[in-house]
Amino acid sequence: MNCGSTESIDVFFNAKSVAIYGASASQNSVGASIVQNFIKPQYTGKVFAVNPKYKQVLGIPCFPTLQDIEDPIDLVIVAVPARITPRVFEDIAAKGVKASIIISGGFSETGPIGTELENEVVDLAKKHGIRIIGPNCIGVVDTLSHIDTFFLPEYRCGRPKPSNVANISLVSQSGAFAAAISDWTSELGLGVSKLISLGNKCDVDDDDLLCYLADDDSTQVICYYTEGYDQDKGRTFFETASRVTPHKPVLVVKSGRGQKAKAAASSHTGSLAGSDKVADAAYRQSGVIRVDNFEHMFDAAKALAMQHAALGDRVLMVTNGGGLGVMTTDALEAAGLAIPSPSNELTQIYKERLPAYCAIGNPIDVVGDADSTRYDIVFEEAIKSGEYDMFVVGMLLQTPSLSMEITNVIANHQRQSGLPFVVVSMGGGFTTKAGEIMELMGVPTYATGEKAAFAAKALAQYGEIKYGDEFNKTIISDKP
Amino acid sequence: MKEAKKIFKTALEEGRTFVLENEAKDIMKAYGIPIPAYDTAVTADEAVQKSKAIGYPVVLKILSKDVLHKSDAGGVKINLRNDDEVRKAFTEIMTNAKNYGKEKGIEVDLSRGVFISDFADMGTEIIVGVTKDPQFGHALMAGLGGIFVEVLKDVSFRLIPFTENDAREMLKELKAYKILEGIRGEPARDIDSLIGVMLSVSKMIAENPEITELDCNPTFVYEKGKGTLVVDARILIGESKASH
Repeated sequence: MNCGSTESIDVFFNAKSVAIYGASASQNSVGASIVQNFIKPQYTGKVFAVNPKYKQVLGIPCFPTLQDIEDPIDLVIVAVPARITPRVFEDIAAKGVKASIIISGGFSETGPIGTELENEVVDLAKKHGIRIIGPNCIGVVDTLSHIDTFFLPEYRCGRPKPSNVANISLVSQSGAFAAAISDWTSELGLGVSKLISLGNKCDVDDDDLLCYLADDDSTQVICYYTEGYDQDKGRTFFETASRVTPHKPVLVVKSGRGQKAKAAASSHTGSLAGSDKVADAAYRQSGVIRVDNFEHMFDAAKALAMQHAALGDRVLMVTNGGGLGVMTTDALEAAGLAIPSPSNELTQIYKERLPAYCAIGNPIDVVGDADSTRYDIVFEEAIKSGEYDMFVVGMLLQTPSLSMEITNVIANHQRQSGLPFVVVSMGGGFTTKAGEIMELMGVPTYATGEKAAFAAKALAQYGEIKYGDEFNKTIISDKP
Repeated sequence: MKEAKKIFKTALEEGRTFVLENEAKDIMKAYGIPIPAYDTAVTADEAVQKSKAIGYPVVLKILSKDVLHKSDAGGVKINLRNDDEVRKAFTEIMTNAKNYGKEKGIEVDLSRGVFISDFADMGTEIIVGVTKDPQFGHALMAGLGGIFVEVLKDVSFRLIPFTENDAREMLKELKAYKILEGIRGEPARDIDSLIGVMLSVSKMIAENPEITELDCNPTFVYEKGKGTLVVDARILIGESKASH
């Protein structure tokens, strides 16, 4: 990846000393919430408050200006009224700090006066080489360094955790969505490394973060929520994404399927285009996977973070329940994946090694009384045959014959073969726990066949993006 | 490329943001895009003479900086099969254009006369176009003409520039792609030559970013081995600015 320097962005996630401008002791204030985040023991850097009104805030020392602080400061979080931000930036410049997150609103999003104010701040920042995230944002959460500028109390807005297996990072234009996703992913069991709310994007934008996250070892999948791009910024995102996607998957949810551009067009082509169709083409062309909603995004992201991309579109569905097998293969077929039956040779081997009442085909049904050894046989022979690029495994745990050994069998075959596996396990409390264990072993697990099929499709889609012509595409889809 | 720049300069000097049909065809030709034989004429006699040289049947169209929508002004006569029909069409076009001007309260410039073009054989109708998106810049659109584009909006897009592979995928994305491959005993269409046109248009836009919109509509693609023709081309331009 060659995106230019990402050093100026790294400090937003790894600052060793942070100053909170506009820190406050009044309950439920933005200033107090942010200070609270940083005084938690998990954050190991130094924290300073800046506010002429106080000598200390929530037990940390408070200074009238940054220049009164002796220690060097890496990052300044600005939570003061918009009109005084230019003065704050004079102070930031004088202190020689190179990174700032402006939480405050009241800038270009409010009209011409706010725009003027924003431009003034941007000019000051440019002159002194200060990078800005925001304004009008909630900033960043880094689950590893515990930098956390979300001014939302944790009992209301949960924070996600990193996973030892794989993590995603998400960049959101909307602060409210960033908060909701933080809260949601804290319960989802999806490993998250970083959440970034960009707000007005007066400086740091989608491109900067795409470059940074592409090189970030703790991010396996990059996710975006966007409503649109500034003038020509769609083009630069397209160009950056084209370089990133062969190395790391990028997913996007884009809203605003707007009609505005249509009205302005005077040619036939222009009237048919609309901005969204062009955006759609740009994503496809640059290898960005566009999904319709967050549920799809997290289903796809989990699989892409935990598994290798598929080398082809041939899926084998293995199940211990007939209904689950049929429903999942229906969904796989609708997703445009190939579900070839085992060859005659492979069928013969299965007939010899599996009980006669197992249904050999695709799906292959090892039936309700199966223990994990039947799965073991299916995987061993299918992998040896080279007839499949991917496995979707139905694991129904309501039957006592299937012990937890099944998770070892799946994980071992996945690891040894390097082929992508996706598990579908429907059920209640026991099943959910088993799914968590399966995921700790690195194999993404879903509650329905449809979700698992969607995940499998994402693995094939990314395989096509990553491997291009080398991707073994066996069926020509009617659909794009 | 120089040819195109000269044409755009003239257009902007005349206060036009569109180029005339002969100019559009000159640009197309410079980029190796296949178009029917064409010429221009300022008198009826000249029109007859040039039509003969091209070979009947021909099409005559008004050529004026004051007329963008030629059909609305009664400025298009198609399938003209002999000298008399051309002579008659020429006079009618001039009269219609004058009347169109009166209705609009403007004096229509008739000094450029008419555009004459070979009347192309009907092929499978395709629309190839370019739009300039404020966020993403130039994108090319392709689709089958007629109901496919008008009713079903069956079109696909790629940002410019794109690869041959992109162009091929773009066509495969169309619901009507099977028609190009040949259905119900119809022979397959010349997909490779259509892709050639798409790539040439892409190159044209990359080198002339001042083009804001372009329609090659209709474009006829013939059966395999028999090529593609861009029958009508409309080019709109904005201020010259290299965007990518």
